[in-house]
Amino acid sequence: MVEDPEIIIRRWFVAESFIAVGKSLERVDSIEKVLGRARFVEDFFEEGFLVARLALARIPHARIRKISYDHILKNPKVHQVLTYRDIPGENQVGYAIPDQPLLAERKVRYYGEPVAVVVGRDPDTVNSAVEEVVLDVDPLPALYNSLEAMERQDILVHEALGTNIAFKTRVRKGDVDSGFSKADVVVENTYRTHHQEHAYLEPEAALAIPDLENRITVIATIQYPHLGQKIVAKVLGIPSSYVKIVAPYIGGGFGGKDDEGPLVAARAALAAYHLRRPVLLYYTREDSMQIHPKREATVIRYKSGATQDGKLTAIEVTIVHDTGAYANRGPFILWRATMHSSGPYYVPNAKIDGYCVYTNKVPQGSFRGFGNPSVQFAAEAQMDQLAEKLGFDPIDLRLINMLRPSSETITGQMLMSSVGIYDALKKLASESNWRIKRRMYEESRAGRFRRGIGVAVGWHGNSTSRAVPDWSNSYIHISRDGSVSVYTGIVEIGQGSPSSSHRQLVAEVLGCPFEKVNIVFGTTDAPDTGATHASRGTSVGAIGILVAAGKIRSRLESFLAEYFNVQKEEIKMSSGEVVVGDKVKMKWEELIALAYSKGVDLSATGYFFLPKGVFNDEVGQGFAYPAFSFIAVVAEVEVDTFTGKVRVLEVHPALAVGKVINPEAVKTQVEGAIVQGLGYTLMEKLVISEDGRIINDNLTDYVIPTSHETPVIREAIFVEDLWEYGPFGAKGVGEMAFIPMPAAIANALSHALGIRVTELPLTLDKVYSLTRDSSR
Amino acid sequence: MRVVFTLNGRVVEVDVEPNEVLLDTLRLRLGIKSVKRGCERGECGACTVLVSNVPVVSCLLLTVQINGSNIVTVEGLQSDDLFMELASEFSKSFAVQCGYCSPAMALTSYAFIKKALENSLKPSREDIAKAIEGNLCRCGTYPRVLMAIEKVLERRTQVR
Repeated sequence: MVEDPEIIIRRWFVAESFIAVGKSLERVDSIEKVLGRARFVEDFFEEGFLVARLALARIPHARIRKISYDHILKNPKVHQVLTYRDIPGENQVGYAIPDQPLLAERKVRYYGEPVAVVVGRDPDTVNSAVEEVVLDVDPLPALYNSLEAMERQDILVHEALGTNIAFKTRVRKGDVDSGFSKADVVVENTYRTHHQEHAYLEPEAALAIPDLENRITVIATIQYPHLGQKIVAKVLGIPSSYVKIVAPYIGGGFGGKDDEGPLVAARAALAAYHLRRPVLLYYTREDSMQIHPKREATVIRYKSGATQDGKLTAIEVTIVHDTGAYANRGPFILWRATMHSSGPYYVPNAKIDGYCVYTNKVPQGSFRGFGNPSVQFAAEAQMDQLAEKLGFDPIDLRLINMLRPSSETITGQMLMSSVGIYDALKKLASESNWRIKRRMYEESRAGRFRRGIGVAVGWHGNSTSRAVPDWSNSYIHISRDGSVSVYTGIVEIGQGSPSSSHRQLVAEVLGCPFEKVNIVFGTTDAPDTGATHASRGTSVGAIGILVAAGKIRSRLESFLAEYFNVQKEEIKMSSGEVVVGDKVKMKWEELIALAYSKGVDLSATGYFFLPKGVFNDEVGQGFAYPAFSFIAVVAEVEVDTFTGKVRVLEVHPALAVGKVINPEAVKTQVEGAIVQGLGYTLMEKLVISEDGRIINDNLTDYVIPTSHETPVIREAIFVEDLWEYGPFGAKGVGEMAFIPMPAAIANALSHALGIRVTELPLTLDKVYSLTRDSSR
Repeated sequence: MRVVFTLNGRVVEVDVEPNEVLLDTLRLRLGIKSVKRGCERGECGACTVLVSNVPVVSCLLLTVQINGSNIVTVEGLQSDDLFMELASEFSKSFAVQCGYCSPAMALTSYAFIKKALENSLKPSREDIAKAIEGNLCRCGTYPRVLMAIEKVLERRTQVR
């Protein structure tokens, strides 16, 4: 029997023919979603449950003197108002740094910070009651500019720290001075990128239900149930084992519900804990937009040098992230940005400094790409300018410097395999008619409507940054009728991994019928699987499923070999048909009944701890990620020079993301990320007023793409550069297509206008003034 | 206030608040869960219902306004041939990701297809995009939704 995870992973990694894997099987959850049968958090609400909303601070920076709400409690329909004083455990929920309270205590640090949970009989009651919570404060001067905040010591968002710099990162490789001295051309620019709102269609909500034996169950919009469990337990001061978290179907997350999910769960749990009744806490759209963390807003200074033959010699980069009032996951986002700042290129000399800076704004948080879209925007604009100065085609210059197997990254990590971006970009160049179009648009750069074509590449380390521990796990149990229950903490957030691609993996490994597999997802009843973030659902997240299924398969094979006295190689199991040698044939169900009667253990966990190397934080050198996913896109735009309106006409993606488990499902992830990236680049912009308030906190004024903005998206090119630890060699894909989109659109627009775009978003007014610059 | 209307083919009578919107009446009083709360200001389309076969956002409709109307949600279309064909096509086209917008998106698409078939129209891709422009999908399934609608239209037109 084989129980060693590495051997199991290897067995399926080298598999050459597949039954379910690599096939575009229809998603299991689509029909029930269209028919309205799929349940989301608020759909579990029943009559008689209490409802709750949050009272928010309406000032960006202040010391709290008193929170008054006794007058509200006179209303018999209001059941309770809870503040930091009512937290039985710890009022501390910072993920990277312990700097954030669940409910404001002593200070308010951003406009929209949650202050109290108001619980009442019905939505009308709590909707008016939240407005009546009185916050008595001493106002403090507020900081909104990250560069200014870095320098100031007289205004501090977190006094105890003595500075507004929450966190620093660095990479030191080679000698940048000597690198730049060898360069024939040097390009230097400052880039700016902006916040992005997730705008998932389902706003945050959590239904907390006091359970038997003092347990509490929370059904929540959350991306990592086990983290929610930990936070709820901490806030309530009870053991994690007394908390159960369930993530039903989630109406989009994109990272936002990874940050906010555990906090929504904890606030709802606090109410249910005190009231001993089920409580549904819900955010309105405005609450959601005011409260939850946003995509990083950045200022990036970038200097690159290259020789005449196109080889990069050095980069020097300073990255400033505006992390807002709390660090949240800001340090992790900055780490990722820092280590990806070169782009997927070999750079012999690098000096990178990152700063995560507090201001009195909504916190920075996780959003598809996690620090990478902004830094690739800068890196890829640099590559285009170097190409222009050196007289190279932009794709040729990229190919000269591109990472390949056995190349070394800026952290000095040698990538031995699974580096398929060179081939992907080469294929993309020919299939997208890049060279012809590039020349054609250059020659016709006149008139009102101008076209341009741009390229950008992106890379994204799989798993956590540096050597931070990461693991996968799951539990599989086969019932006597042959049906298979799979328990995982991975959440169904729209990507289709637990609902569908995990089912493909299990059916493949066990050889059982596809429809016999039921995936119980998004639950703390499963072993801790890690989060559904970082593109890990079907890659790292599914390793545990592969291992657990692999153990059971191996036990069944050993049993059959012994029982029928054959070699294991003579056993075939696929699609529910079991063949043993040349005589015995049976159905999957018969095999399971037999195995049950002969004492075969048909339940298994699939724990796997990812092997990692050593990372030195002091110099930012060492093992950064177990593998990288790669993407290249070519985008074509048309700009109306009279109005500044940019239309993205066509996007052609090429990915190197290891084994593709379900090609159509992966393509939809790519398409969705392209649309979201297009929205970020061209339309989406949070407007923050002078008192730190997000003015456009609704979907009327914060505009996201509709059916009209969708470009033609060409058939994705896949280079299957298998990753040795990924299930069947799969790497992460969910975030990939977002990462190069800002850069590709900006490079295409720069090409159309013959200028250089260094700042996002490319809204009408900004593009209009760029067109004036270009015609000058 | 007492309101009487037809919901999915059955007459319902409910007592509602004068300021109550149809979204809340459907979800909180009548157990219709396919109609989703998204923005509560008529922008996202997740709460779409059909009022006399026309897609309308139920968050902007006072329940008292629909007295005597004919309201249809996807709960009422589960044995409708055209709707079930469309649902199956959504699935085959991978037009569903998180699914929060899906019942409303499908309902809008259904009303559009029905109208096109009844009036023997041949809508262009632009026309279809226009029809679903009021239904936001943050997962970006738009190209797939367009594909699903086109396929159903194509098949239904050929049959005739």
